Amino acid sequence: MQEPFRAVASREAEGGREIAVTVRNVGMDFDGVHAVKNASFDLPKGRFLTILGPSGSGKTTLLRMIAGFQTPSSGEIFINGEAVSAVPPHKRSIGMVFQRLALFPHMTAAENVAFPLKMRRRDARTIPERVERYLELVRLGGYGGRRIHELSGGQQQRVAIARALVFEPDLLLLDEPLAALDRKLREEMQLEFRRIQRELGVTTINVTHDQREALVVSDDIVVMDQGEIQQKAQPIHTYRQPRNAFVANFIGVTNFIAGTVRAVSEAGDVSILRGDLMLAGKIGDPVNPPAEGDKASGAIRAEQIRLAGDAAQLSKLDCMLAGTVTDTIFEGERMVYEVACAAIGDEVIRVFDHDPAAHTQFDIGESVFLGWNARDMLVFR
Amino acid sequence: MRAARTAYPLKWRIMDALEGVAAAIWPARFRRATPYLMLLPAVLLVGLLVLGLIQIADASLRTLDTTTFQFSDDYSIANFRRALTEPLFLVVAQRSLIAALIVTAVTLVFAFPYAYLMVRTRSPGLRKFLLIALFLPFFIGQVVRAYGWLIILGNQGMVNEALGLVGVAPMRLIYNYPAVLFGLVQYMLPFAVLMLAPALTAIPEELEAAAGSLGANWVRTFIHVVLPLARPGFIGAGVVVLTLSLTDFAVPAILGGGSHDFIANAIYDQFFRTSDQGLGATLALMLVALGSILVGLVFALFGAGTLAMGRSRA
Repeated sequence: MQEPFRAVASREAEGGREIAVTVRNVGMDFDGVHAVKNASFDLPKGRFLTILGPSGSGKTTLLRMIAGFQTPSSGEIFINGEAVSAVPPHKRSIGMVFQRLALFPHMTAAENVAFPLKMRRRDARTIPERVERYLELVRLGGYGGRRIHELSGGQQQRVAIARALVFEPDLLLLDEPLAALDRKLREEMQLEFRRIQRELGVTTINVTHDQREALVVSDDIVVMDQGEIQQKAQPIHTYRQPRNAFVANFIGVTNFIAGTVRAVSEAGDVSILRGDLMLAGKIGDPVNPPAEGDKASGAIRAEQIRLAGDAAQLSKLDCMLAGTVTDTIFEGERMVYEVACAAIGDEVIRVFDHDPAAHTQFDIGESVFLGWNARDMLVFR
Repeated sequence: MRAARTAYPLKWRIMDALEGVAAAIWPARFRRATPYLMLLPAVLLVGLLVLGLIQIADASLRTLDTTTFQFSDDYSIANFRRALTEPLFLVVAQRSLIAALIVTAVTLVFAFPYAYLMVRTRSPGLRKFLLIALFLPFFIGQVVRAYGWLIILGNQGMVNEALGLVGVAPMRLIYNYPAVLFGLVQYMLPFAVLMLAPALTAIPEELEAAAGSLGANWVRTFIHVVLPLARPGFIGAGVVVLTLSLTDFAVPAILGGGSHDFIANAIYDQFFRTSDQGLGATLALMLVALGSILVGLVFALFGAGTLAMGRSRA
C-alpha cells in the first residue's frame, strides 16, 4: 500500500530536523465539554501545517492555545523546546493572522505593520525601511500610507500577513483568514501564503475547514473531528490513505458501501459481503484492522469509479455494479452522476466523469455500469 | 387547521386589521405626507422652544425699575452689562465652568473601567448586576439622591459617625465645593457609562487579542488600540456630562448649601427671589451661549463622536 508514495516520503524525510512546536497530550474543557481531547503532534521548523476540520472540531481552540489566548486544561505545548502554558501571548514570538484580520482601523497600512516593531521596542530608525520591505514582500509596496478602509479585501489580507511577519516571529498562525473571501481571491491568496511561507521559511500553522486549501498549501495536514486528531499526514497521504471513515468522507467525495467482512488476508486484502454482492478492497487502517464477521464499509472515491453504458468496457476492472442514473450535475470541469444501484438496495453512488476525449453523456433514467479496482476501495470498521 | 394557524399567526391577523383601519382613516394618496406627519410633533416641540427663546431674548433686553417693579418698555443692554461686570455673576460662571470641566474629566476616568468591564465580561450575571447598579440611581431621582448624600455626609451622618468610632473628630463634608463636585460625578456616572458602552461594544475583541499577539501588554494595548478607538464614545459621553454639569441646579443647591451656586441657581434667584426676570433671562441666554460654544469647540476639535451617528469618519 505504501509503494506508490515512497518517492514523496523520501523527499520529505528530514533526518532529525529541529522541532519548532510540540503539542503533547493537550486537552481543553469548556464546562465539562471536551473541545480538544488528548491532542499530540510535532511540527519541525520551517514546515507548513494545516489543521483541517469541520466547525466545532476543536481546531480553532487548539490554535488559540498555541497562540496563548487560552490555557490548556491538560497537557503542554512547547515552542522551541520550551513549555509555554505560563507565557502570555505578548511574550511569545508568534505572528497571527486573525479570522477577521483584526487590523487597526485607526492606523494606516504602514502603521499597522510597524505596530509589532514599536511594541517590541525595535530601533525607531530601522522601522520605516523594514516596514516597506515587508509591504513589498506582500506586493503592497507604496500602499503604506493608505488607511485600512481604503484597501480592498485582498490588500487587507496582505497587510495582515505583513504585520504578522514583520517582527520575524518563530511561528506564524493563520486562523482561517481566507474564509470570508470569494473563491477566486481565496485561491490566489492560498498561493500567496505558500509563496511567502517558502520565501521566509517560517514555521506556519494554518486552521481551515476548506479541504482544498489544506491540500494546496500544506506540507502536513492534521485532520480533527470532535476534538480529536484523526490523522496527521502529508496532503497526498491524507487524500489517498485516509486512516478512518471520517477522514475519507471529509476530504474528497467518497461513496461508502456497508457490509460484513468475509475474508482478511495477511497482505491487507479484505472482502466485504453486501447482500449477494462480494466486494474486494484493502484494509484502510492497518492499526485497527477489521476481522471476519465485523460490520465494515468500503470507501471508494467518486473519481476512481469508471462509468460505461455496456459492461464489456469495464471488464478489466475488479468490481462492477449495475445501476440507473438518477441525477446529473454539471460542474464545468466535470460531470457528476448519481447512480442508484439495485445490488446495494438502490443506494446512490456518486461518480465523477471527466473524460476529456469521449464526452460520453448519460441521461437520467439510463442504465449504466460502474467499475473500479479493488486497490482503490478502502475498508474501514 | 393547526398548521394553517401557525403559518399565519394571530399577530399578523391583528396587523392586517390595523392596516385596514389605517387605510380607511389615511388613504393611500396621502401616503406622501406620512413622513412629514410623523415629524410634526418634534417640529412643534422645537418650535415651542424657539418661541420660548425669543421671549427670553425679549425679556433680557428690558430692565427692572426697582421702585415700581415694572419692566421698561424700551430695549437696552443694561442687563448684559450687569451680568458681565458684576463680580458675583463672574464668580458663579467661573465656578460652574471649572466644576463642569473637572466633573467631566473625573466622570470619564471613572466611567471607562465600569463600561469596559460591563461590555467585556464573560459572565452574564456580572453584566446584569452592573447594568442594574447603573440604572438604580435613575429610579431614585436627583433631588432625593442629593438629600441622601446630606444624610450620609452630614455632621451627624454615617461617615462622620464611623470616623468618630476610630477617634477622628467630625469633619465638614458638605456645603463645600468638593461636595458639589462629588455629588455631580456620582450623578453623571451612569450617563457617561451608557454613552461609552456602545462605543466599546463597537471595538472588536479580536483587535485586543491581535495587539497582544503583536507584542503589546495590556497597558500598551489600552493606550494604542482601545483608547483611540473609544474616542467617539469619550466625545459623546464628555459632551453630555459637560452640558449636564454646567447647567445643573439641584446638586449645587443641596450639597452646596447656597454658598456654591452654579449659573442655574443664579438664574433661579433672579426669577424667583429678586423677581428680576430681565436679568434672569439674560443669564439664561448667556448660559445657552456658553454651553453651545463649549459643545461647538469640542465638535470642532474632536469631531462629533458617537453623536455623529456614524456618518463621519474621523
